[in-house]
This record gives sequence, structure tokens and C-alpha cells, in this order.
Amino acid sequence: MASSSSSGLTFKLHPLVIVNISDHFTRVKSQSHPRRVVGCVIGVQRGRTVEIFNSFELLYDDSTHSLDRAFLEKKQELYKKVFPQFYILGWYSTGSDAHETDMIIHKSLMDINENPVYVLLNPSINPAQKDLPVTIYESELHVIDGNPQLIFVQSSYTIETVEAERISVDHVAHLKPSDGGSAATQLAAHLTGIHSAIKMLNSRVRVLHHYLLAMQKGEIPLENSLLRQVSSLLRRLPAIESEKFQDDFLMEYNDTLLITYLAMFTNCSSTMNELVDKFNTAYDRHSRRGGRTGFI
Amino acid sequence: MNLSMSSVESLVAQIHGLSSNIGELTQLRNYLKQCDDLLRTESTRLAPLLTELDPSVHSLGYLYILEACTSAPISKDQANKLVLSVARFINVCAAEQIRLAPEKFISICKRLMLQVMLLEDPMRGVAPLLTSIRKLQSSTEQLTTLHPDFMLLCLLSKCYKIGLSVLEDDIFEVDLPRDLFLYCYYGGMICIGQKQFRKALELLHNVVTAPMPIISAIAVEAYKKYILVSLIHLGQFATSFPKYTSSAAQRNLKNFSQSYLELVNSYSTGKVSEVEKCVEIYKDTFGSDNNLGLVKQVVSSMYKRNIQRLTQTYLTLSLQDIANTVQLNSPKEAEMHVLQMIQEGDIYATINQKDGMVRFLEDPEQYKTCEMIERLDFSIQRIMRLSKKLTTMNEVMSCDPSYLGKVGKERQRFDYDDFYTVPSKFTI
Repeated sequence: MASSSSSGLTFKLHPLVIVNISDHFTRVKSQSHPRRVVGCVIGVQRGRTVEIFNSFELLYDDSTHSLDRAFLEKKQELYKKVFPQFYILGWYSTGSDAHETDMIIHKSLMDINENPVYVLLNPSINPAQKDLPVTIYESELHVIDGNPQLIFVQSSYTIETVEAERISVDHVAHLKPSDGGSAATQLAAHLTGIHSAIKMLNSRVRVLHHYLLAMQKGEIPLENSLLRQVSSLLRRLPAIESEKFQDDFLMEYNDTLLITYLAMFTNCSSTMNELVDKFNTAYDRHSRRGGRTGFI
Repeated sequence: MNLSMSSVESLVAQIHGLSSNIGELTQLRNYLKQCDDLLRTESTRLAPLLTELDPSVHSLGYLYILEACTSAPISKDQANKLVLSVARFINVCAAEQIRLAPEKFISICKRLMLQVMLLEDPMRGVAPLLTSIRKLQSSTEQLTTLHPDFMLLCLLSKCYKIGLSVLEDDIFEVDLPRDLFLYCYYGGMICIGQKQFRKALELLHNVVTAPMPIISAIAVEAYKKYILVSLIHLGQFATSFPKYTSSAAQRNLKNFSQSYLELVNSYSTGKVSEVEKCVEIYKDTFGSDNNLGLVKQVVSSMYKRNIQRLTQTYLTLSLQDIANTVQLNSPKEAEMHVLQMIQEGDIYATINQKDGMVRFLEDPEQYKTCEMIERLDFSIQRIMRLSKKLTTMNEVMSCDPSYLGKVGKERQRFDYDDFYTVPSKFTI
């Protein structure tokens, strides 16, 4: 069902849409058992570029595979008032692959937009997967077994952001720790991030180094193109060399060290305080005399 | 007596035979302990035995015999020989062997010290005692009984730098409380002599706040010096004691140092004339405590304190104004004082000699340099080690029966409603 599209349209997807769809799905999943969610995507089409800006939810009847038309019209009217230049470009849903039944909904939207797009979000979390689990499908008329049929074909898309979206996505991405509010966890998360980044860099450099050593010893046949790449990389280092950078870098380094020092100091002081209290209770005969303070 | 001579011969043979490894050494030690009385009675005739033994290999045996030799009272001419022989032994002896008999080692070192003091040449004892401390300590964090003696010798012979080098080590274990008191007191005096007031303050603070069931005279003297050093270094003195001070100290120390507390009061007025008046009144007390030199330093530190206070109000000031505010006699004196303070790092300023103006500057440290990183790293390592030690001590203290007993008793009184599994009355 999915081959590449030949319509020549370029798709641009805004992150707001992805966040909306995933939010919709998560909400429904937490309230009742997970099921497919359906909604509309809106945006602008200028020439050959289709830019999908926003989305909203729709009421979907699973048994009859039909959308609530009245709801759709009302929502469309409301959105038209707020965003006059956006119009319905297509619809979205969740799932791992496009179904046959999706074509019904697709066809029903064809009276609003003669060539709707279908945005599919795969809600299963796959840690090995590197790109977004979002696919965009178009419909094309193909001749199969003698019958002209509409089938879904996959199209490529790019992510397009405006300034505001970039800021908010950045924010969401960095407040990953579950309580995320206190400065200490944020600092720890920040430092952990830097630590893992440096570790990864270190391991990669080590791989290269090992490879080059082996090449030098003659265990691996020489590969000149790789050597050229390595040499050009080395010539580009050090990447930043300026006094201003040194200053700022050392200052930040010192700040972090000072924070660690301060934290250890506080820790030590508190342990010392406890120790002194215990010592006084245990050994100083007179310190507790008259000390009938109320224990809280 | 023939009998005793043969037993002494067998002793030498034993020492020769049993000095190779640690198992044999413990055996030898037990044997030597048994022979202790014998050695004592024969002390006068033991000298030739020493020649048969090699001090670096047979240190334990040599130690016992040497100790017995020197236990007899000695005349002045023999003192020199004694000092030489003991010093030589200390230099070559094997550290692990002498650690098996620390009391003997300590006693011969103390005798060495006594003799050098009698000979009125304390400097001869400094190097041997330093070696002896390093050999006796099981780690640099242990305070032995020889430490205060060493400090005393350094003070008497004015070898302050060596004393300072020993003071650099942090102390964690102490053999006898009296050692700690004396060590910190003498150490404080050495630091005062070298003008390292911060370290002196720390050491004297240790003496004043150390646990003591009854008030100790060392603590009283230390408290007086503590007040003076605090005035010189910090410009103020807090009369309240930290909570880890023993109650004996808290109640009694102030009674012994009334004149010093009066000095503190006059110092806080900020006027040099007041302080000088106070010094005049109590001159005899200060003199009898041998603290006159420190008191004079207190008076001169008054000027420093006042100039420092000026840096908080003014950005630039003329030398004449400084002289007037601080009650100095002339701008030249003010310039001298300011120059000295800049050199010592007490203030940051520049003197413009053309128009006699002084500009006060901020601390130029930006904390941006690699040296600062090294310092911070070093401090962080130190504090990590300290933190580990503190947590272990805390845990040990939590399991201490006397602590648990007192805590258990208190709980019973107040928690009627809750049911605790901790026994309410803890009897050991």
C-alpha cells in the first residue's frame, strides 16, 4: 500500500501537530482502553507546498467507520474565525499502518478537500527507532486488477518550525525529569547530559584511534579516503580557540566546581552537627540538665 | 653473677635469632617482656652488649637493652654520649620493630629530650625527635606522645619552620588527651611566632573546645592566647562558645581571663586610646602570662582594622584623611601602614604618591584561572575524604551504648501514644 508518491507535492509538518496528536492519544489512553483517535489537520497549500500547521480532534464512530459531520462543520467554522487563512488539508489517526477502512474516511473528506492528506502517528515506543514515527499518506488513483482504485502512497515530509514552536519544544524536551521543578534535579540532569555526551565522544574517538593504530600496524589494509577524512578533521581542530572562549569556559568550570564544593561542605557540616549532638548526649553529663525541651 | 651473665648471653642469642620476620618478632617481644626485670637489675653492665647488636636489624632487642641502660641516673658528661647513642639509634632503627614496643621507644625519646634540655642545646634534639615521630606514627594522622615534646623543642630552639611542617598534617587519632592539649597549645605558639594567625587560631580553638571533664590549666592559658589572636586576626571576639565545647570549659574559662575580656571590650570601641589605656591597667597580668608581645600586636592591629573599615565606606581617600580617622600621627605613617597591608594581602589598593591619594580596589580574583581549578580540585578531594571519615564516625557513634542509653531514656517520657519497638529503658 505504501510506495512513494509521484504527485510532486512537498509536505511541511509543524511540531504542534505531532504534539497535538500524541496528546490526544495519551489522553484517551489514560481514560479508557487504548483505541484509535481521529482528527483533522489544517494548514495552507501554496502552489506545490503543503504546510500543515495545526490540528483538532474529531468524533469518530468505530463501528460505522464514519465521522460526525455536524461536529466537523462546527469545528471548522470556529477555526476559520480564528485562523482565516487555514483550511482543512486532511485528517490524522494513530496506528501502526494504514487500514483499508481508512479509505472510507479519506473518501468522505474528499468533498472538503479534493486531495486530502492522511497523517499517521505510530504510538508504540520503539527505542531503537531514530526518526519520528509519523508518516504522511496521499491517495492516488492506480489501476489494480483492471479496476481503478484509490490507494495510499507514502510521501516524504520535512519538519518546519516557527520561533515560538522551537522554544516550546525545547522546553518540553529539557524538562524530562519527573518532578523537574527543583533546581538541583535540573542541574543534575544538565550535568548528566553533558557527561553522557562527552562519554560518547570519548568512545568514538577511541574507536577511531584504535582503527588508526591497527592500520599503522598493518593489520587492516590502508584506506586512503578514510585517512583523508581523518586528516581533514584533525586540521580543523581545535574548533574554538580564542581567549574569550577560554575565559568563559574556565569560569563556568570553576562555577560548577564551586557548587560541588559548597554542596559537600553543607553535607559535611550537617554530618558534623549530628555527630556533635550525639556526642553531647552521650558523654557530656551536664549538658542535658534542665533540658526538658518538648520533643516535636 | 654467673647465672645472670649467662642469661644475658642467651638474651643476646635470642635477639640475634628472632629478628627476621614479624612472627618471630612478636615471640621476641614476649620473651623480652619477661626479661625486663632482669635487664633492669643489670642496667649498668649492659653497655657492651649494645656493640654486639646491629640497631637497624635487631631494633627491638636493641631498644629494650638501650632503654634499660639509660634508665639509670646519668652524670652530665655521660649525657652527651647518651644523646649521641640515642640519636644514632633513632636514625637507623626499623620502624615496624619499634612499633611493637611503643612505650619503651617513647621513654628513651623523652630521656633524650631531658638530656638535651639539661645540656641547654635543644636544637640537637629536633632532628632525632622528628625522625622518631615519623617512625612511631602508623599514619600521618596519628598524634603520638612525642608530638608535644617535639613542638616544645622547636619552640625552645626557635626552629619554627620544622614545627610548621609537622603542623601541616591533619590529626585524626590521638593517643592521650593531654598530648592533644599540649600539641595544639605549642603548635599555636609556633604559628603565632611565624605570624600564621589563621592556623594559630584553629589550633588554640581546638584546645579550648576539646572535651575535658574538668578544667585544664593548658586550656586556661590557651584561652587567653586565643582571645588575643582572635583580636589580631579577626578584629573581634565571640564570647559565646560553640556547642561542642565541654560544659566544664564553658563555665570556668571566662573566670580566669577577666582582664582579657576587658581588653576585648575596649577593642570593640574602635579607639586606639581606649585599648592603650586598658593595656596600661592590666599590664602586670599580661606580663605574668608572658603575653605582652601579643598584646602589643593587638594594639597595632587596631590601625589595620580601622583602615580596613575605611575600605567599606570610601573609594578613594587621601593619606591625610586616613591618618586623621585612624588617629595616626602623620600621612607618612598612614602610607607605611597601607603599604604593609597591601603587601600582606589584607586590602587591595593603589597609592598615588603625586597627590597622596589612596584608591581602594576590589579583589582582583576572577576565579577564571587553571590554578584556581587545581586549588578547588584539591579542596574537593580533601573534603571528600573528610566526609567519608565523618559518616563512619557518625555511624559508630549511633551504635555507641552510652548514646543509645540516654536516647532510650528520653523517649520514654514523651511518647505516650506511639508504640516504639526501641526498648524504653536500656540497661547494659
